[in-house]
Amino acid sequence: MLRPVKMSRVVVAGSKNVIAPVVEKLHELRLLHIVNYNGSQPSFEMGKPIGKAKEYSEDLIKLRSVTRYLDIKNKAPEKTYAESQILSEMDNLLNNVGADITATFERITAIDAEVKTKQDQAKALTPLAVLPLPLDAYYGYDSLATFVGTAASAVDADVARVSPVNEIYSGSAKNATFVAVFVPIEKAGDVSAVLSEHGFSETSVPKLEGNVDSAIATLEGSVKSLEGEKAPLQKKLTDMKKQYEDLMLATDEYLSMQTQKTEAPLRFAETANAFVIDGWVPTDEFSRLKSELESAAGGKVDVQLIDDKEAEDLVEKGEDVPTKIDNPSLVKPYELVTRLFAIPEYKEFDPSLLIFIFFPIMFGMILGDIGYGVMSLLVLLMLKKKFRTDGWQQLINIVMIASVWSIIFGIFFGEIFGPLGLWGRIMGHMSEHELEAAKHAGLYFGEGVFGSLGRIGFWGIDIFPMDRLATNAVLLLIGTSIFIGVIHCSVGSIFGIMTELNYGEKKHAYFERLPVMLFQVFFAITLLGLVMGQMMMVYIGAIVIVVSIVMNVMGPEGAMGLAHVPSYVSNLISYLRLLAIGLASVGLAYAANQLAFYVIMPMLSGGATNSAEFSIPAIIVGILVLFAVHFINFLLGILSPFMHPLRLHYVEMFTKFYSAHGGGVEYSPFGHVRKFLKA
Amino acid sequence: MAVVADAGTLYGLLAVGAGLATGLAGIGAGVGEQGIGAAVVGVVAEEPGFLGKGLFLMLLPETLIIFGLAVSLILMFAWTPFSGIVTP
Repeated sequence: MLRPVKMSRVVVAGSKNVIAPVVEKLHELRLLHIVNYNGSQPSFEMGKPIGKAKEYSEDLIKLRSVTRYLDIKNKAPEKTYAESQILSEMDNLLNNVGADITATFERITAIDAEVKTKQDQAKALTPLAVLPLPLDAYYGYDSLATFVGTAASAVDADVARVSPVNEIYSGSAKNATFVAVFVPIEKAGDVSAVLSEHGFSETSVPKLEGNVDSAIATLEGSVKSLEGEKAPLQKKLTDMKKQYEDLMLATDEYLSMQTQKTEAPLRFAETANAFVIDGWVPTDEFSRLKSELESAAGGKVDVQLIDDKEAEDLVEKGEDVPTKIDNPSLVKPYELVTRLFAIPEYKEFDPSLLIFIFFPIMFGMILGDIGYGVMSLLVLLMLKKKFRTDGWQQLINIVMIASVWSIIFGIFFGEIFGPLGLWGRIMGHMSEHELEAAKHAGLYFGEGVFGSLGRIGFWGIDIFPMDRLATNAVLLLIGTSIFIGVIHCSVGSIFGIMTELNYGEKKHAYFERLPVMLFQVFFAITLLGLVMGQMMMVYIGAIVIVVSIVMNVMGPEGAMGLAHVPSYVSNLISYLRLLAIGLASVGLAYAANQLAFYVIMPMLSGGATNSAEFSIPAIIVGILVLFAVHFINFLLGILSPFMHPLRLHYVEMFTKFYSAHGGGVEYSPFGHVRKFLKA
Repeated sequence: MAVVADAGTLYGLLAVGAGLATGLAGIGAGVGEQGIGAAVVGVVAEEPGFLGKGLFLMLLPETLIIFGLAVSLILMFAWTPFSGIVTP
């Protein structure tokens, strides 16, 4: 749980005759994390693909291009297929259906291109409408140069100066003058220079016939008919997507599996007659791997366990031991948080269990409201059905467990949609006979929800439910937050010490990790001593703090280690966010309740003081405001209690023990998890 | 000794100080996170696997605002030099 699964290094060697059944079996077992052969041994070559590797990859490319046309993305399977079914339908799917889809898609692309050209032409033609010329007058001359475009000022006089023989038409449209200038071709250069002085910019005239308006009308007509052709084609693609989506994904899966298998020998070492596979397997699965492989290959394969010492040497030489994280199903979602940061190295701790313990408590302590907790549980239950991918499910499970904690803390804090309960606010406004009715219906629990329960607590301090906005509660929570921080950081430090010892780095363990823990624990004890007025605790704390700083200086970093000391304190202060963000959310909830029940409702009812006198519109407006503010607070109340404990784990805790030696390699055994294919 | 301010004014000044402490620290944290955030978004667009580490880096300056908040809390709740004259 706290440590990755123990792995063993194995070597599988066998005759080349049995390479296919061995690969098949390995793929089915999904146990061996293959170490790729790098070609470093002169007597071994890299393996070559077996079977129809080329055909499979060609088919895969064909299929992928078709799925791209249909815009098919990976999704949760609706139905599964047997391999035989895939085999019988694959040919038809790849050739006939594939060709049909490709042709349809290409036609749509062609239509889009044509529509674009026609629309551009129509756009270019529109300004020509101001000139009194038919379209075929603009092109087809041997001895004339044509200039058509916009000009900033009148060009007639200047053109006539350089080319006495000319024909000029002009018209104005949309604050620009449009000109068409025809001059003898040998004057083209001069005229062009003159025109550019007038800010002339040329327009290209499409080679069409007839007058401008009718040409535009023709273009628009053909655009319309092209679009008419496109719509049914698009519908056809949508229908085909619906029909073939799952089959295509299943075929993709089948082909990927086959390529994986046929190309597997590329990762093996080979001689003329034999192959060797290096890999890692979970230690307690070794005997299963051995017996299954031997029976699959009819004894023509040798599966050997390499003893730990030799394996250690391989690791020294740079081989990575794959990390297989294994946690009970309740803790599993929290692996997401671990993974987001980094995969632990084989010798490091897997912090998922710690996140499972601390994260929901922190979330609960920040949100701490029965109403919001229940709301988020309900919302998440709905989302759980909608978002079916693994990542989302894990995320939703994390927040669901956290919501349960927020309900528990809500009971401690006495909050239902705000301090002392929205419920209590509503009850507080009831008139005598309404109260009687509520009592009769069993809905009245006294002043506030907890009124009838009285105060609860321990060690003779009856503080719950407490009002988080009260001064005493804030002070208590400041202390609690810092002490949670001390525990959190200390657990991290203990893990850090153990990790360093695992790597055999005693000096780092005792003079780098241990002082941090001593400092933080005794800093907290000193603070406690100051608050309680126990000077003995203060003295002991101060002495140990000094000792820890001295130890730090004696450590591997020397005097530079002093630079870290302020961060030990800031780490602890950082946990104040547990209180601070909670206060912000209570504050907003409190404000919402106050605003609705004590400001808006009485004001709109003309200064009424009793809920019985509230007018109906006032109550409606009040409830709307209540909903809006609580909704915003609810959204923030899910987001920040999630982000901040995450940060406390990543920054304050993980840095104490995690990834000090770089990220690990995740255990990914050779094989495939079937999604669309039946096993 | 002359009276320089009455209790209410002192308490008000404490509150202003507390507000400034949190507010200015917030601005500082924001300025710090701005640059890191932009860089992280850029990297994550290229390589989604960096999200966790990016988040870690982005959240580092967050501590600043908590320092400001700690000062505010001390001012408002735990600092008592005027406790004899200030009654909130």
